[in-house]
Amino acid sequence: MANMIMASSKVPISSPSPSPISKPRIPIQISIPKLPTLPKLSKSQILSLSSSLSVIAATSLSWAPPSLAEEIEKAALFDFDLTLPIQMVQFLLLMVALDKLYYSPLGKFMDERDAAIREKLGSVKDTSEEVKQLEQQGIAIMRAARAEISAALTKMKKETQGEVEQKLTEGRKKVEAELQEALNKLEEQKEETIKALDSQIANLSDQIVKKVLPL
Amino acid sequence: MNVLLCSIKTLEGLYDISGVEVGQHFYWQIGSFQVHAQVLITSWVVIAILLGSAIIAVRNPQTIPTDGQNFFEYVLEFIRDVSKTQIGEEYGPWVPFIGTMFLFIFVSNWSGALLPWKIIQLPHGELAAPTNDINTTVALALLTSVAYFYAGLTKKGLGYFGKYIQPTPILLPINILEDFTKPLSLSFRLFGNILADELVVVVLVSLVPSVVPIPVMFLGLFTSGIQALIFATLAAAYIGESMEGHH
Repeated sequence: MANMIMASSKVPISSPSPSPISKPRIPIQISIPKLPTLPKLSKSQILSLSSSLSVIAATSLSWAPPSLAEEIEKAALFDFDLTLPIQMVQFLLLMVALDKLYYSPLGKFMDERDAAIREKLGSVKDTSEEVKQLEQQGIAIMRAARAEISAALTKMKKETQGEVEQKLTEGRKKVEAELQEALNKLEEQKEETIKALDSQIANLSDQIVKKVLPL
Repeated sequence: MNVLLCSIKTLEGLYDISGVEVGQHFYWQIGSFQVHAQVLITSWVVIAILLGSAIIAVRNPQTIPTDGQNFFEYVLEFIRDVSKTQIGEEYGPWVPFIGTMFLFIFVSNWSGALLPWKIIQLPHGELAAPTNDINTTVALALLTSVAYFYAGLTKKGLGYFGKYIQPTPILLPINILEDFTKPLSLSFRLFGNILADELVVVVLVSLVPSVVPIPVMFLGLFTSGIQALIFATLAAAYIGESMEGHH
């Protein structure tokens, strides 16, 4: 289209342009000797020149645009040909190749890794249960140990209490025995003193009788 | 004459600078058929990039992924996610199709925007994104059609065609029409977006060579990614739709 416009626009411009320039020159050169004859010749020459120039211009124009015109004529946006099936085959080959090189191996690798990580996570959960069991075991052991200790403590307390009581009873018995002895001794002394007093009382009564009776 | 030559030269110059070579192809003759060589060349480069990077990144997978492997694992997770949300639980066998669709379109689109294709001169036409050509997008769209037909037929056998009269038999023509509009819309959406994006960038560069085209270029990158995602998602959605059971 553009070339067509170019070609159409330039031909009319080219034909007038040479004639005004070439016309004055030749008359000026040959104006002094013969005016009527030469101008005619020159006119015809000029005409022929101008026509030839225009022809040249037209030919040059017609020579330049055809290549462009051909190019533009061939502007085929929707030009279906063998490229289409070739692209299909290429795409399918690329699909197979990428599947072999990329999707399958990397996908498999990723899936396996996911599975491994999941397994590890699962095993970690299991160990947490184990840890719980161990903790419970530990708590049970602690309980048993505490029970043992408290039992031993109570046992020891009982033993020491028994010993203490025994010693206490022993001490009490001793004290009682000593008391009894001391009491017995006191009793004996009392009886002795009573006996002594009896005899003294008899003496005194005798003396009192003696003193009273002589009067 | 001078004026003429000058004007022709300037016009040619402008033509060269703007370089909007829409729909011009570098043809190779194969037998009696023609192919668009520029599309094939760029698509080979894209395929080489994809395969090469995949080989390098996935060659020796580590349990704790390194940079490249990490990226590729992320991409694979993304593709799986897209497939799973669109297709459902039986997405496994379709991951290569959806993934290749996404990656091929994405790398193609971005190669058109990022790789300096213009450095390599072709005798005719120019190198651009492979998705810039209608052949590529129609090829991909037709493959999507084949894929969803295959998915439906393998899942449900001939009972798959029962979906054409599913709500009421009155919708039969519309249901049949859908099978034609799906690849048409898929291919033309991608083709139009990528072509328009490249044209906008080229025209803006020819008008204002500095700074101004940069945001449009970034917009183009964004659009390219979105288009790749849309194509892959829609392909997966069509496959999922043909596989799901009608109650």
